[in-house]
Amino acid sequence: MSARSADQEVSHAIARMKAGILAFIFAMLGGGGLFVMTAWLLIKGGPQVGKTLNLLGHFFIGYSVSWPGAFVGLLYGAVTGAIIGWCIGIVYNRIVGVPSAS
Amino acid sequence: MSTEVKNAVVIGAGPAGLTAAYELAKNGIRSTILEADQLVGGISRTVNYKGYRFDIGGHRFFSKVPLINEVWDDIIDEDMLLRPRLSRILYRNHFFDYPLQAKNALTGLGLFEACMIGLSFARTKVFPSRQERNFEEWVSNRFGYRLYNIFFKTYTEKVWGIPCTEISADWAAQRIKNLSLVEAVRNALLGGGGKTKDGKIITTLIDEFKYPRLGPGMMWECCQSNLESQGNHTKMGRRVERIRHSHGKVECVYARDENGELEEFSGDQFFSTMPLRELVNMMDPAPPDEVIKAANSLAYRDYLTVVLMIKRAEIFPDNWIYIHSPEVKMGRIQNYKNWSPEMVPDYSRTSLGLEYFLWDVDDEWTWSDDRLIDLGLKETVTLKLIEENEVEDGTVVRMKKAYPIYDQHYQSHLDVIRRYLDTIPNLQTIGRNGQHRYNNQDHSMLTGIYAARNVMGAKYNIWAVNVEKEYHEETVSDEKATGDRMIPRRLVPDDDAESVASDAVIRAAFAKLDPFALGSAMGLVFAISLFLATTALILKGGEVVGPHLSLLGHYLIGYKVSWSGAFLGLIEAGIGGFLLGYVGAGLRNWTMSSYTNLLKRRADLDESKDLLDKV
Repeated sequence: MSARSADQEVSHAIARMKAGILAFIFAMLGGGGLFVMTAWLLIKGGPQVGKTLNLLGHFFIGYSVSWPGAFVGLLYGAVTGAIIGWCIGIVYNRIVGVPSAS
Repeated sequence: MSTEVKNAVVIGAGPAGLTAAYELAKNGIRSTILEADQLVGGISRTVNYKGYRFDIGGHRFFSKVPLINEVWDDIIDEDMLLRPRLSRILYRNHFFDYPLQAKNALTGLGLFEACMIGLSFARTKVFPSRQERNFEEWVSNRFGYRLYNIFFKTYTEKVWGIPCTEISADWAAQRIKNLSLVEAVRNALLGGGGKTKDGKIITTLIDEFKYPRLGPGMMWECCQSNLESQGNHTKMGRRVERIRHSHGKVECVYARDENGELEEFSGDQFFSTMPLRELVNMMDPAPPDEVIKAANSLAYRDYLTVVLMIKRAEIFPDNWIYIHSPEVKMGRIQNYKNWSPEMVPDYSRTSLGLEYFLWDVDDEWTWSDDRLIDLGLKETVTLKLIEENEVEDGTVVRMKKAYPIYDQHYQSHLDVIRRYLDTIPNLQTIGRNGQHRYNNQDHSMLTGIYAARNVMGAKYNIWAVNVEKEYHEETVSDEKATGDRMIPRRLVPDDDAESVASDAVIRAAFAKLDPFALGSAMGLVFAISLFLATTALILKGGEVVGPHLSLLGHYLIGYKVSWSGAFLGLIEAGIGGFLLGYVGAGLRNWTMSSYTNLLKRRADLDESKDLLDKV
C-alpha cells in the first residue's frame, strides 16, 4: 500500500466500538468510583458520614455509606456502568453502520 | 521465459552485469560478460595509480535488502571492513556536521544568520509553498528557504548542473521515501522499523558502513574471478557495436576488441547495462524513429575526479566533505584512506579525490590532466585544506554518463523505449544506465539478480526496483500476464506478519470517532437514565419526592421529579448527552490527528536529514 493510501485509510477510517470492552471500562469506572468515594467518606469520618451519597440508596437497594455498603456499591456501580457502556457502544455502532463486536 | 537457457551474454561488467552473471552461474547457466573498459566494477571500480587506490565517487556498502547483503558476504566476507562514517559540509571555511545538527549549524553560522534561518523556517511553516513543483520548493517547505539556500542549493546545482527550480520535486520525493502515517506512528510507538529479518537493528547509513579492504572494485574483481573459475569469461576491452535481433529475439551481439577486430557473441538470453541511448542506437534492425528519438533525448551527467597525492598523514578525519562554497567548482572531496587504510601505499601520505560534475560539452571536460590537476590544487588551497607544496603527484579519472538525468520529459522517453524493449523478451536492461535510473549499487545488483531469475522462470518486474518501497524485499509476481512482463504482487513474508498486525491495530486505534454517532449514543443513554431515575423516585413516592434529584433543575431548565419533569429531563438530558458526546469525539479526533501529524512530520524530517547523500 502506498504511503498516500495508508494515510487516507487512517484519516478516513471511522472507529467502531467494542461494546463489551466499553462496558468493562465503564463498569470499572462506575464500580471502582463508587467504592472509592464511599471508602473516602468512611475514612474521613465525621458526625454525619456521607449524608448525600447515602441518597444513592434510593436507586441501589441495600447501598449505604458503610464498609458493607461500599462493596454493595461496587457491585451496583459496576453493573450500572457496564449497562451504560454497553448501550453507548451498541447505539454508536448501529449509527455508524458497523456490527457491534463484544 | 524459457527455462532451458544454455548461455547468456551480459553487456557490462559493473555491479548489475556481474551480479546477473553470478546469479546465473549459481543456477548452472554460463554467461559471457563483455566489458568495454580494462577494469571491472563499472562506476564501482577501484582505480590503482602507483599503489594509490581510489573509488569513483565513494561507494558505501549498505543495503536494506537482505539478499544483497548475502551476496556481498558471499563474495568477500573476510575482506569487508566496517567503517565509521564522518562527512561534513565545508562552507565559508567552516565545517558543519552532516547530517545537520541544529546547535552546530547555528553556532557556525553566527547569531544573525541563525535568527534569519529561524525566521525563514517559521515563515515557511506558516506560509509554505502550496505546490511543491520543484526541488527548491520541496526542500524549502521542510527546512526553510534560507537553510536550503545555504546547505542544499549550491551542492545540488553543482552535482546536477541545472537550477534547483528546474529539478522536479518528484525526484526529491523518490530519493526521500517518506514514511506513511501508519509507519510513522508504528515507529514512534513501537520503535524504529529498521530491523533485519532476524530482528537485529539496522545501523543507519549515517553512522557506519561496510567497505572492501581494497575499495569497491575488490568486490567486483573477486566476483569476476569467482565467475572465471566456473567458466564464465569476462572479455575485457570489448566495445559492443551492434545487437542483431529478429522476430522479437536478440540473436547475437557484435563487439570490437582493442585491436579493431569484430567478434560475434551469441546466446539465448541477453542482459544489457549499457546506457539506453547507446543500446537503442545499436539495435539491428533499427527501432522505429520515435524510439531512437526518445533514446537520443535521454541526458547524462558526466563526472571526473582529480586525485592529489599529498605528503601529509592527516588532513581531515572525514570520509568525504561536501563543498558548498560557491567560489570553487568541485562538489565533494573524498579522503580515500579514511574509507580504508589500505587505499594508500604509505600511511604517511594521503590521497584526496576532488570531484567535479560536468557535462561532456563543458570546457573542463576537454581540459588536459595537467590543467585539471592544477585547477584541483588551486581550489583545495583556496579551501585552506592543504598547502601547495604538499602535493607530490596527481591524476585524473573521467567517467562518462555517470548520472542519468531526470529532466521533465525523461519519463515519457523511457516509456517509449520500454514499450519497444518489451517486444524483445530475451533482452533485459539492468543497472543504473540500463534503466536510466539513479540507482545505488545495491539496487543495480538487485536488478541483475531479478533479471537472472526471470530467465529461470521467475516473473520479477525489474523496473519496480528502487521505485516501490515494498520491492526491496523478496517479491514474486502472480501469473496474470500484462503483455510480456508480469505485474508483481507482493507476498507477505512471515516475518512481516507482526508489522502487518501492528499496522492493523494502529489503524483501528487511530480511526476517527463519529461525533454524531457518539453524541447520539450518549444522548440516548443519558436521556433514558434520567428518565428511569426520575420515574423510580416518583413510583417510590414519599412526602417529598426526589428533593435531591430535583436539584438538576439548576442545569436542566424546568426539570423536577414529576411525570412532566421526567419527559422534560428526557429531552434535555438527551440534548446535553449529545453535545457532550459530539464535542468529546471531536476533541479526541483533533488530538489524535494532531499527534499523528506531529509524528509524521518528525519522521519525514528524520528521513530527510541525509538528503545530501541522496542528491
